Amino acid sequence: MAKLQKTTVEMEGRFEERWVLVEEEPPAWEDERPLNVAGTRVARLTGPRRVSGAARYVSDVALPGMLHGVIVRSPHAHATVELDVEAARAVPGVLAVLSPADADVTQGRNPIFQSEPTFAGAPVAALACETAEAARAGMEALAPRYTVLGFVTDAAQALAEQRLQEDPVESETGDVEAGMAEADVIVEAEYATAAQVHHALEPHCGVAQWLGDELHAYVSTQGIWDARTEFARAFELDPDRVHVTCEFMGGGFGAKQGATTEGMVAAYLSRAAAGRAVRVFNDRRAEGVAAGHRSETHTQTYRIGARRDGTLTAIEVTSVIANPMRGWIDPTTTPARTLYRCANVRAQAIPLLIDVEPSNAFRAPGIMEGTFGYESALDELAAALSLDPLDLRRANDVDVDQISGLPYTAKNLEACIDRAAELAGWAERDALRDREHPDGRKRGLGAACQIWWGGGGPPAHALVRMGHDGVVTVVTGAQDIGTGVTTAFAQVAAEELGLPLDRVRVEVGSTRYGVYAPVSGGSQTMPSVAPAVRSAAYDLRGKLLELAGDVFEVSPDDLQIVDGSFVSLDGALREPIVEVTGKLGKAQLVGTGSRGPNPDGMRVNTFGCQIAQVAVDVATGEISVERVVAVHDIGRVIAPLQARSQVEGGVLQGLGFALMEERVIDPTTGTVVNANLEDYKLPTHADCPEIVVEFINRPDPHASTLGLKGLGEPPIVPTAPAIANAIYHATGVRVRTSPITRRRFLEARAG
Amino acid sequence: MSAYVRPASIDEALELLGGDGAQPLAGGTDLVPLQSRGKAPGSLVDVRALLGDAIEPHGDGLLIGAATRVADVAGDGRVAERYAALSQAAGAAASPQLRNQGTVAGNLAQHVRCWYFRHPDLTCWLAGGDTCYAQIGDHRKHGLEAGDCISVAPSDLAGALLALDAKVRITGAGGERSIPIAELYARPREDHRSSVQLAHGELITAVELPAPPDASAYERAGERAAWTFALAGIAAARFGDSLRLAAIGLTNEPRLLDPADPLGDLPGLEQTGWKRELAGVLCERALARVSPG
Amino acid sequence: MTEITLTLNGRERQTSVPEGATLAELLREQVGLTGTKIACAEGTCGACTVLVDGRAVLSCILRAEQAEGAEVTTIEGLGDEGALSALQRAFVEEDALQCGFCTAGQVVSATALLAATPRPTSEQVRAAMSGNLCRCGAYPGIERAVLRAADELAGAS
Repeated sequence: MAKLQKTTVEMEGRFEERWVLVEEEPPAWEDERPLNVAGTRVARLTGPRRVSGAARYVSDVALPGMLHGVIVRSPHAHATVELDVEAARAVPGVLAVLSPADADVTQGRNPIFQSEPTFAGAPVAALACETAEAARAGMEALAPRYTVLGFVTDAAQALAEQRLQEDPVESETGDVEAGMAEADVIVEAEYATAAQVHHALEPHCGVAQWLGDELHAYVSTQGIWDARTEFARAFELDPDRVHVTCEFMGGGFGAKQGATTEGMVAAYLSRAAAGRAVRVFNDRRAEGVAAGHRSETHTQTYRIGARRDGTLTAIEVTSVIANPMRGWIDPTTTPARTLYRCANVRAQAIPLLIDVEPSNAFRAPGIMEGTFGYESALDELAAALSLDPLDLRRANDVDVDQISGLPYTAKNLEACIDRAAELAGWAERDALRDREHPDGRKRGLGAACQIWWGGGGPPAHALVRMGHDGVVTVVTGAQDIGTGVTTAFAQVAAEELGLPLDRVRVEVGSTRYGVYAPVSGGSQTMPSVAPAVRSAAYDLRGKLLELAGDVFEVSPDDLQIVDGSFVSLDGALREPIVEVTGKLGKAQLVGTGSRGPNPDGMRVNTFGCQIAQVAVDVATGEISVERVVAVHDIGRVIAPLQARSQVEGGVLQGLGFALMEERVIDPTTGTVVNANLEDYKLPTHADCPEIVVEFINRPDPHASTLGLKGLGEPPIVPTAPAIANAIYHATGVRVRTSPITRRRFLEARAG
Repeated sequence: MSAYVRPASIDEALELLGGDGAQPLAGGTDLVPLQSRGKAPGSLVDVRALLGDAIEPHGDGLLIGAATRVADVAGDGRVAERYAALSQAAGAAASPQLRNQGTVAGNLAQHVRCWYFRHPDLTCWLAGGDTCYAQIGDHRKHGLEAGDCISVAPSDLAGALLALDAKVRITGAGGERSIPIAELYARPREDHRSSVQLAHGELITAVELPAPPDASAYERAGERAAWTFALAGIAAARFGDSLRLAAIGLTNEPRLLDPADPLGDLPGLEQTGWKRELAGVLCERALARVSPG
Repeated sequence: MTEITLTLNGRERQTSVPEGATLAELLREQVGLTGTKIACAEGTCGACTVLVDGRAVLSCILRAEQAEGAEVTTIEGLGDEGALSALQRAFVEEDALQCGFCTAGQVVSATALLAATPRPTSEQVRAAMSGNLCRCGAYPGIERAVLRAADELAGAS
């Protein structure tokens, strides 16, 4: 029996109270329960379609009569613009032109096209055209004329001018002065991290068309339901009249939220073009300037006091961040406030405003940048104390969330540290460093840990339906952005129902089903949706057993479903499922499920430890990461093959952040000079280290009925500081700015 | 959007190449991407089928057809054995697909990688404008000496061929000529905004390698382990007692360096002092690799 | 409009070429084979990799006219009568993909590698595939898949 209940839901550390529909949930799987399908290595269900070219991504969608939609973007950091809209409209093949004159063309209540664009890449107009040539002719006729205005794109200048995006955020616990006075050693250091650009390989794109008064949109997005809400608001539509599909999309990493600007522009162009389908597809440059980025931390200043034995006595951290996410500026200081025990912490986050695009959550936003600074600072503290860096972490383990004071549902960071140390050969690291290697390079190991959220929560729903053939289809409005959740959902449903995996299908990626699931962000899909899938499967299982009881004239309580057959507890009866479902004819059995509320008075967090081994050619500054050991605690692991891939992928993005990725802005013109995949360096195959992945795999006793937590973001968090620390261990050179390029290493080495 | 034309003969090609904005197209790996940056030539004259694409013995050396794929140079056993610097340079250039697609001539004549030159919204001095944005902006990867332009020579092959004392065969309306590769390049000037000294309408037809050196080597530093242009590329070759040391990535044009004082007259700029240090190490290593014993 | 004739995935066909079109655009828009992806349109990422006369090249920077008379193989042309090739199966088994957008290019490059070097070392795999960027970071899985397929194909012959 469903009921409504108030509960606290969490997204990336933000908490809010909500009413949610709560349905009956099965009890949690016992820790020792043997699992047949969940928790086993299963190839990605969508693999064959993706690997054969058959999967149709949003950018592959081609509808009859589809028009080319192009967004015209300002090349200047700050300017005013004049456009010949009528001239553009007059060009044959140009069916619609939108411009700043269309003030009602909005996204989140702000006009999309600005007559005073405030960053290079800001949209100033858009056209819908029959052909690419018409688009070129249209843009030429539009003839944008810019008057360049003053701008500030340099964070140092913004700081000097006190250009703040919003008010700084400060927090203080305990007595920092007393803590510092108590310290035997105080380490002070300043770090900086460059802006990192998502550069998902599929650019932001969308296809929209109006069928009557209904909007049908395909958007490369992480949130089809947010997209639906945004479209509905923008066009003042009943949300049921908006259908958003995202079945296959080419990566997001946080950049693709809701309708995205590109999807919204497609919808507006389509409306202006009498409802004809319009595709908007960013070019790579737009992805590098106007599609989101991880904020630059101009400085992170740490002052950390500790006793001889490594106990932290006080921490002061000030983070100056350029264009952090509005209203959420302090996650950069969260690692310092929560990762290790310290009662006396003063934190300040100062948000600068520079004339570049607003940032967009990039996988573990804020936390990743802050962990680079904090875990590097602690490494420096360990050196100052002559302590093993891992012992320093062990000495300050804390099992409550220091911001709320609430205990964690489970914390196995120590187990992660111990296992990572074992796998990495930590005990022999000094011997590795001191040995002369035949290739003349210096080698060393460095470690770092992570904390992240990822408990998920309601609302998240699923349904499962089964017909006469005994095949079950899981339906939920989640989107698989490459994480492999589709497969995990199938495993959960198969496990709960007692079916072999080949009897399970999964449908995701459309709002049409009416089955809500949250945005693929904040590492919340698995912990939110998987329990809903299980709940739905549990509901269906109950119905199947009832029907089986009718057919076989036994009590449903005497039956189980094992490997696709009804089996009586005494083993006497064993009948394949189709003996019952075959009698359904055209009817479908449906189970519905919802994610239940989160535990009260607790915090659900994930923890992990990574250790990197580097080899450095000291004279040339060439840094190779040879090996990364990554041990993470996310509770129960449902889909180990896909989970390993998540970690490998996070490590590689962390490696890119550590060694080669930075958005470069020209000081004279305020424009990005490396908005392409040749100048902006992503790691290649040849840069890939050996990556050893392990999970603690202990079910979290309080986190949902599946005991699992999200994995999307944790693995990107500790990689970069582990690498920076390894470079220090190997060479004695401490580089405090990411990315640690050859130049930064050589200049740091020269002192 | 460049127009495309495929002539049936070299003569027809030369005539077309005399036209405004016409450039020879072979692999297209340099000219076609320029389109997305607004720097594409007016027309592309496809000459790939008209030029030799093989490596043949030639006296004591080798003759490499202009349309030979870079991958084929990298994979050639004779080149690997006798002209190691060239083999290493070809194997390190670009990416596997670009090596498959790109030709030797295209590689030698390619445009610079300077991110201001290639910026779709800027027309820098080298592109015919008035301002060298790099000098007043971010020139962390640029050259070591001042000038109108501080972009750097990008071609790994050019560096290796310079050290190996190769010659380049060129044909044009005025006939054929064969020049030392050093003469294919010079610093860009007000009236010739390119380091490549081909007159409009000229075409590289082949590269001649002389008798092989006693030893050669290529040292290179990039920004990641693969698919990266060289921050600095140093080629060394020893012919008996005589050493040739060539650099790309440090100056506008591939430059011969004095082995006794390689960076003597290359002071480094405000943001490229680190590169000077790096180049010095590569010079030492390249020379060590070709020294006897 | 120009017309070109090429052999595409084993079958000869004639197609008209819109002005200025690249081979990638031709494949996706004129022929309707959307397996080959355009991610950068300037030859920097490898997502558009196809085989032209047996070589892995970037179709987004190949003028369509240059494919005249060539043998072109796309992701759709690998595999056997609708079934996945050994390499494609290995990609699935080793989870050599996440979002899958770069996957077609990866598989094509790997196919070319195994044709030229049937038993590559790890290093050779990494070098040969270094022109195919994967932002999701599926490189370890891709390497496992290529080596696994190489083993399987060697065992089979």
